[in-house]
Amino acid sequence: MKKILVIEDNPMVIKSLEFKLTKDGNNVVIAQDGREAMKQLKETEFDLILTDLMLPFVTGNELISYIKKHTPNTPIIVLSTSTQESIIMEAFNMGVDDFITKPFSPNELSLRVKRLLSKT
Amino acid sequence: MKNLQNPPRDHATILLVESDSVECEKFSQIALNEKWLLVVCQDGLEAIQWLNDNTSADLLIIEEDASPISGYQIADYIKTELGLALPVIITTGEIPLQQERRMLAYAEAVIKKPFTESAVVFQIRKTLEKAVEVSPEQNDHYSLNYLIDLSGNDKQFISETLELFSSSVNLELQNLKQVLDQKDYLRIREIAHGIKPSFDMLENEKGKGICHVLNTEAKEVEMPYLIDQLNSVFNNINNQLIKDFPELNLR
Repeated sequence: MKKILVIEDNPMVIKSLEFKLTKDGNNVVIAQDGREAMKQLKETEFDLILTDLMLPFVTGNELISYIKKHTPNTPIIVLSTSTQESIIMEAFNMGVDDFITKPFSPNELSLRVKRLLSKT
Repeated sequence: MKNLQNPPRDHATILLVESDSVECEKFSQIALNEKWLLVVCQDGLEAIQWLNDNTSADLLIIEEDASPISGYQIADYIKTELGLALPVIITTGEIPLQQERRMLAYAEAVIKKPFTESAVVFQIRKTLEKAVEVSPEQNDHYSLNYLIDLSGNDKQFISETLELFSSSVNLELQNLKQVLDQKDYLRIREIAHGIKPSFDMLENEKGKGICHVLNTEAKEVEMPYLIDQLNSVFNNINNQLIKDFPELNLR
């Protein structure tokens, strides 16, 4: 069972991601803000990280830098909205692997997650 | 002001603010065919005066670049100052999507010129129908299609997600009021960004549109009205949910 860290603060998006990813056979851990995410990353090794870029306490750039520094081989999918093009481009430049627009298409989420997990 | 037609009283009364005589004639012909009463006003101020003197209008169609006050400002005034729940359609030329979304925060629909008769008739009928109270089976406040698709129609998941919508968005709207009082406009944009997916997941385009405008382009002076509108959209969704799912814990 693959372990996925979801970093997101919208409760409905969290519930949806947790439902879908668990149904697909993954072990899902939730962090609702940047600090909680950093704590989780210190304690646990994850196979994949899905993260929003606008979170309480930590900016998207800070979070991506932290993940890349501490677990450079863990693939990252950014959860974005359609209005964040420049932020997403910056995240790609920092090494994120993929992005999904919220609210996500269930099939698209499954495919993108499976594709990255197959590489780990 | 001129009253172009005089159909029976049980037909819809539409106020029109349109400076182009050709477009005006097109609307007039459409209204004649559809048996709508068309009241043509020279400008938005005349429309407001008409609404002050009469209470029987069913729809206002107003051009965006109406002089001396723009269409969306007139729509805003009618809804906030006059307190009328009058549906408004704004007519405009070709505009960017963002600008259209901004208008949809004030109006029920946007019609782009040049328009075809069938498109206008469709939009007016749709807007007039929306103004009538909707039934629980077919409402315009929310849709469960996305949640059903996501979960394979898992009833427990859907119920819990609806309860989450009710509680979490309600809380964030209270936060919005607080930060508005504090004039923390950056935080307003962040909160709007955060709850936009919640409206999106229930397929409420108006709520999503207002969140988008608040997040990206709303001027500070526009924020109080937009937040009021967002509260109203949320209340409509929540009331409909309470009606449709009395067994759930909805606030």
